[in-house]
Amino acid sequence: MIVPKNSYMLQDRNLNFDVVDDFNFNSDNTCYYLRGGNGFGKTSFIEKIVIPALKAANRQYLYIGQDIRTQLYTLRALLSMQGHKISDTNEYELLKIWVRQGQTARTFILDEFDKYFPDYNFIFDWSRSFIQNYIIVTHQSFEPAHAGAEGLKATHVRFELIGFDGQVKNVRVRKE
Amino acid sequence: MTMLKFGAVLALIGLFFWLFVFGPFYASLSIQLAVFIIIMGWHLARFSLRETISVLKFCLPFVLSLFVFGLIFHLMRLFGRSDWLQDTLIKCLIFPSSLVFLKVMLATITYLDILNLPISMKNRIGLITMKSAFQKGEKILRRFSWYLGTYSGLQTHGRIRTLLRKYACLIIALYLYLYEEIENSNRLLKNRYQHLYEVEK
Repeated sequence: MIVPKNSYMLQDRNLNFDVVDDFNFNSDNTCYYLRGGNGFGKTSFIEKIVIPALKAANRQYLYIGQDIRTQLYTLRALLSMQGHKISDTNEYELLKIWVRQGQTARTFILDEFDKYFPDYNFIFDWSRSFIQNYIIVTHQSFEPAHAGAEGLKATHVRFELIGFDGQVKNVRVRKE
Repeated sequence: MTMLKFGAVLALIGLFFWLFVFGPFYASLSIQLAVFIIIMGWHLARFSLRETISVLKFCLPFVLSLFVFGLIFHLMRLFGRSDWLQDTLIKCLIFPSSLVFLKVMLATITYLDILNLPISMKNRIGLITMKSAFQKGEKILRRFSWYLGTYSGLQTHGRIRTLLRKYACLIIALYLYLYEEIENSNRLLKNRYQHLYEVEK
């Protein structure tokens, strides 16, 4: 189990997650869609709970953060150090090189990637052969029709604000 | 007044480097330790505990590599010297002290101070751009470091090797960021200035 049901407190973010379902983020052929209002801690949940859990389970992953413009600088640095010529490479090509060299990863996490690329089928085209599950943070209310994601079981995860405990935001995380 | 402030800041920076980095107190480990503690305390009071820890974390790999090399040289008694360890410890204190001192001093210069300087608008824009880019750069370093920690492509067999590769990437990413950020901010500022100038005319 990657994230078992429990209460998870993030002191520095003033967030307390009440995870009411077990989340087996290493289950095969699943696409998790994480939804919830702004400020309910979806990104914090990914960065502070899911990613450390994946690391602890020794499961390789690829993560594209919400601030992709910032992340691209690190991707440029990484790929240039690995010998790729990236001086005239656009964002799309950079991501393509990076994803294709991440063949050992089994989980792909995308945090509001649809903000930059509303149609991100290409991600599935590049990675479906080796990625077993996807975790997608999105604000879109509908289930996106990804041609490349056929055969993946969609699991919807909802972040709901329960209330405040002083400054701490209590958020329930459950499967829909 | 602004010129006086600039002068004082530059004089204090000069004095600090003369006294503690190149000058009479360089070789005193106890003075360097006291300076380090005072400057970190000053940084803590001026900024926050989180930022102070972040600065120390930034310095740590450089300080550690300095220390490791110093220790090796000491054990080898390189060039017949027996004071490698003492000298290394001093350098391990001077590096973060001078970096943080520079940061705190330069942080006292505000954008308004730059605007009040009796220099051409072109040079003012240059200074404002530099200040803005470096301020952002410092904050972004933490985020870069976090992202680099998620890349399995950086992992190698040795922990130290992985760390060194990560820091090499960090420096390249920061350079790319500053280069683009300076260029973009400069273009934006020039454009706004030109537009306002034309509207005023």
